[in-house]
Amino acid sequence: MAHRRTSGSKLLMTVLYMVASCSAVPISDLLDRASQGSDKLHSLSTTLTQVLDSHFPPIGRVITPRPSTCHTSSLHTPNDKAQALQVSESDLLSLARSLLAAWVDPLVVLSATVNTLPHPAQSSISNKIQELQQHSKSLGDGLDIISGKMGPAAQAISTLPYRGGNDIGQDKISKLINFHFLMSCFRRDSHKIDIFLKVLRCRAAKMQPEMC
Amino acid sequence: MTVCTRMRGHLGLALLLLLSAAVESNSMSPPGKPVLLGCRSPEKETFTCWWEPGSDGGLKTTHRLFYERERLEGKHECPDYRSAGRNSCFFDRDHTSIWVDYHLTVVASNELGNTTSDIFKMDVMEIVKPNTPENVTLLVMKREDNLYLHVRWEPPYNTDTKSGWVTIKYELRVKQEKSNEWKEYTSGTETHINLYNINPGTLYAVQVRCRLDHGSWSEWSNSTSVNTPDYPHNEKLFWILVSMLSAVPFITAMCILVMKRKNVKQYLLPPVPGPKIRGVDVQLLKRGRSEDVINALIINQSFPPMVAWKDQIEEYLIVSDDGLLLDPSSSQKRKKSLIIPAGFHLDLGIQCKEPTPVQRDLQKAEERKNEMDNFVKANTSLTEGNLSDMEPPQPPTQKQLFPIASFVKTTDQSPSKHNSAAENTVKPLANCGYVDIQRHENAKEVDVIEVDYSRVKEVSGDNILILQRGNIPGYMDIQRQKENIPEDYSRVKEVDGDNKVLLQRQNASTDSSCREKGNHYTDCTNQKLRNPHVTGPSKVGVCTELIGSGYVDTIPAPPLM
Repeated sequence: MAHRRTSGSKLLMTVLYMVASCSAVPISDLLDRASQGSDKLHSLSTTLTQVLDSHFPPIGRVITPRPSTCHTSSLHTPNDKAQALQVSESDLLSLARSLLAAWVDPLVVLSATVNTLPHPAQSSISNKIQELQQHSKSLGDGLDIISGKMGPAAQAISTLPYRGGNDIGQDKISKLINFHFLMSCFRRDSHKIDIFLKVLRCRAAKMQPEMC
Repeated sequence: MTVCTRMRGHLGLALLLLLSAAVESNSMSPPGKPVLLGCRSPEKETFTCWWEPGSDGGLKTTHRLFYERERLEGKHECPDYRSAGRNSCFFDRDHTSIWVDYHLTVVASNELGNTTSDIFKMDVMEIVKPNTPENVTLLVMKREDNLYLHVRWEPPYNTDTKSGWVTIKYELRVKQEKSNEWKEYTSGTETHINLYNINPGTLYAVQVRCRLDHGSWSEWSNSTSVNTPDYPHNEKLFWILVSMLSAVPFITAMCILVMKRKNVKQYLLPPVPGPKIRGVDVQLLKRGRSEDVINALIINQSFPPMVAWKDQIEEYLIVSDDGLLLDPSSSQKRKKSLIIPAGFHLDLGIQCKEPTPVQRDLQKAEERKNEMDNFVKANTSLTEGNLSDMEPPQPPTQKQLFPIASFVKTTDQSPSKHNSAAENTVKPLANCGYVDIQRHENAKEVDVIEVDYSRVKEVSGDNILILQRGNIPGYMDIQRQKENIPEDYSRVKEVDGDNKVLLQRQNASTDSSCREKGNHYTDCTNQKLRNPHVTGPSKVGVCTELIGSGYVDTIPAPPLM
């Protein structure tokens, strides 16, 4: 199924390339498609955190790392509506792409270690991680296309390396806590990506208020 | 001395006062621990938090909210305690940041001390719950004879829909007035929707709610209702058209009637013919000579000759047992003719038809019997085979007369089956409560000898009355007196078919009388005795076409048979 998805995303890419080369598809439609993808991504990550919350050890609430220790926290993003509306389109797109790229490696680690996760809904979590990876990949490819149409300023990506290593803990409690922490970081970042793209979409479709 | 006691009294009083003061001061305490209940952001730009104070310890207690925020140094206090009401803290746009964690605490303090609540951690993106949508309007619209509901609303108060900062998704639910079930629809981001599958003449209620991104749903808006019309327009038009169309032929009919009223009058109210007596001269009567009148009246009156009447209904009553049927030759014998003994005068009740139709029907039955002759031979083999199933008289005779495939088992207890057999030719004759069969001899006038009444249970065919078995209460006395069934009478057990009357078997005495009476009936009596399959009370099958009565006069048939 992963193979099909990658070939599906390849197909999407070719289509997008063709479309982009024809320059017939307006960028607002591309952004609409992309924001649908980011909406799906955020929805998946929200569900996953809720599942993990249901089986979270109480001690975890105390010893869970602070969100400022998310590996993407160094990226400076707007923190309220006023700030967000002042960011340029290229910057918004660049932020979205950077965040998305930053999660490729951690998702690989998560999917590798989910089988050892001591959680009752472990298989469901495993499936969702897979879905997350696929959606993330296809969204990233789509954003690459859009950035190509938006000019060089949109091409810049900040690298945010993940330094968490290849495992998420040795014992049961720390596995659960780290997994939960990573997912909450991802949930926040996927929300940021979603909002940035939706703001972009609304700006790009000035003649279509229903896009906002 | 008195001074000492007075002083002691004062001392006691002072001690008491001190004690009471001490007691009072013991009921005061530092405040109880407050609890942070939760926070809510309606539009991702501001948010409010609420807490529940603990006990106040008997003293005036104040509550203060402090927060620490990610990416913000230091501990800060709530910027606004008032806007959101008691025990709340409102964070305005300048103090609200998203995608950062807040750590909130509430401190309750009074004269005796402070108490701090537990830390409450939150991120604005997690506490989003919008206001309800506004101005929900409901309209009934019509397009090409189809009714639909058009629902329209506005985004919730104070929510930004222009920048893409929030994406509002709506959901609505609809309910008919009588049911308790809501039907839900998602509207997406549109602020209107058309509902097509609605019924006329009902009250519909609609509620709308929304949510931002993937946050919590808002509360349902207040219910808005509308009544759908009851197709008055269409119905009125339809009935107007119908009445107009039907008025046209009605008017033409009336015109014709009026124009031809003479003919109509003649048709509807035919003139009653004046009396015309044959041979009577009206003029003669008018002249009024009495002798002439009397002569005219007597001489010219012609009574129908009894002989002729007799001729008309020379029909034979056929008495048969089942054994009779087994014998093909005997079946030949029953050249279907009906015998009505001469002595019989069929006189039905007041409400019944004249005897003449009866006679006619008897003749008809005779003809029918002739037709059915063919079936006799075919059925004899069957009758043989199924004799075991049958009670003696009825089924074979049935077989003879009606090509019925099924045999009806007849017992004393199941008169209904006879009725069902007879139902093949059910034609209601008349509703006679009672049938009066009189016996008179020698073509005399009606001579009531015995009047036996049986209640007619059912009338089948033109000429068959199925009598109810059993005593009629009103007539119990009469029938009781007839414990000894006269020789000439057999009680009819059942009538089935057009031409069968099944007589009940009489006592041996009667049998012998029967035997004596009629060589013609030897078969029947012999059959009675011979037939090993007779069960239940012995029965005699009598095939006659006779109006059923309590008693049937078995009269020997003429040697025609």
